[in-house]
Amino acid sequence: MGIMQTDRTLPSNRLIFEVRRDPALRERFTSDLEGLMADYGLSEPERRAFREIDIRALGDMGVHPYFLPQVTRLFKGAGYNHNQSEAAQLYARKMNIQE
Amino acid sequence: MAEIVSVLALAHAPGATGWLDKAPAHEQEALLAGYAAMADHLWASKPDVIVGVANDHLLNFRMDNIPDWCVGIGDRWKGPSPWFRDWVNIAPYEVDGHRALARAIVQGSAQRGFGLAFAETLEFDDNWSVPLHFLTPQHDVPLVPIHMNCVMPPVPSPARCLAFGRVLGEVIRAWPGSERVAVMATGGLSHDPGGPKYFEVDEAFDRGFMDLLATGDSERVERELSIERMVAAGDGGTVELLAWLVAMAAAGDRPGESVFYVPSVPLRCGMGGMIWNLPQ
Repeated sequence: MGIMQTDRTLPSNRLIFEVRRDPALRERFTSDLEGLMADYGLSEPERRAFREIDIRALGDMGVHPYFLPQVTRLFKGAGYNHNQSEAAQLYARKMNIQE
Repeated sequence: MAEIVSVLALAHAPGATGWLDKAPAHEQEALLAGYAAMADHLWASKPDVIVGVANDHLLNFRMDNIPDWCVGIGDRWKGPSPWFRDWVNIAPYEVDGHRALARAIVQGSAQRGFGLAFAETLEFDDNWSVPLHFLTPQHDVPLVPIHMNCVMPPVPSPARCLAFGRVLGEVIRAWPGSERVAVMATGGLSHDPGGPKYFEVDEAFDRGFMDLLATGDSERVERELSIERMVAAGDGGTVELLAWLVAMAAAGDRPGESVFYVPSVPLRCGMGGMIWNLPQ
């Protein structure tokens, strides 16, 4: 994991990139994640990682680090993203780190 | 001819507007005083336009084609990009662009060996929204945004960033308009969004970096500052400091002057600002 290990061609990277830019895709991320993942051609390990919000696994597969806390924000909300916020704490738990 | 009237570099981390109340009072005060001092410096230079250089947080360029630098040539910019509004806690705003100067930067850089991408539209997140909130809260100074690749390797080397900064300075000064131009780099200092150091700040690295730029010795910067060292100080974010090298070189490889530095774990970022004093 890390910026040097990013897999540019990993379907998950394209999915996250586009979901952040498109409100319709964000709606679908919430209402039909399975269909969205199928449309973007995610592998079964990638799909499992999204289902389980397995941030570390996504990083290990080559998702860009910058996207990882954004995935927790897509699930838990992006507002008031302080260290004790639900999104930041979910990230910490999944990465096994603490403030 | 146009004139570069101020050069500055500052952090843009979203906690400064998104959850500043979670930082201890002394951090809040130092940060707000620091941004206020940066704003004073900018306004004292009476800028007609800001040429900005900042990391693109993988928001505008898909991974199949990421330019080192991309100049926004549009007439009008809007921010923050919708999904980032809640995060940065900044209301929608608009700011004028400067098409003629932006186009001249693309053409002049090409003539000097830098093939820059350019774009009619760009999404803004914290990269511009946070600094503009503090420095030009009325959004009344036109902006030429230059997005750069600081986070998707291979990123341009420190030497390449310094070389681009010199070209950018030269092209702006050669612009036949009468504009007073501010150059503003945003990004850094140490932070690690999406890495194991998410809740850490590397104060020793940050202070060393600012001390290094304070020497004004670009050969030493090239020698001592590596991408690897920046990655070690915070994988996903610290490399944004490459934008500061562009500013340093646009200022003529002069010594920078530290304005403020606040290592803030609650904001998950080393927050700081630097200016370059230019010959009158």
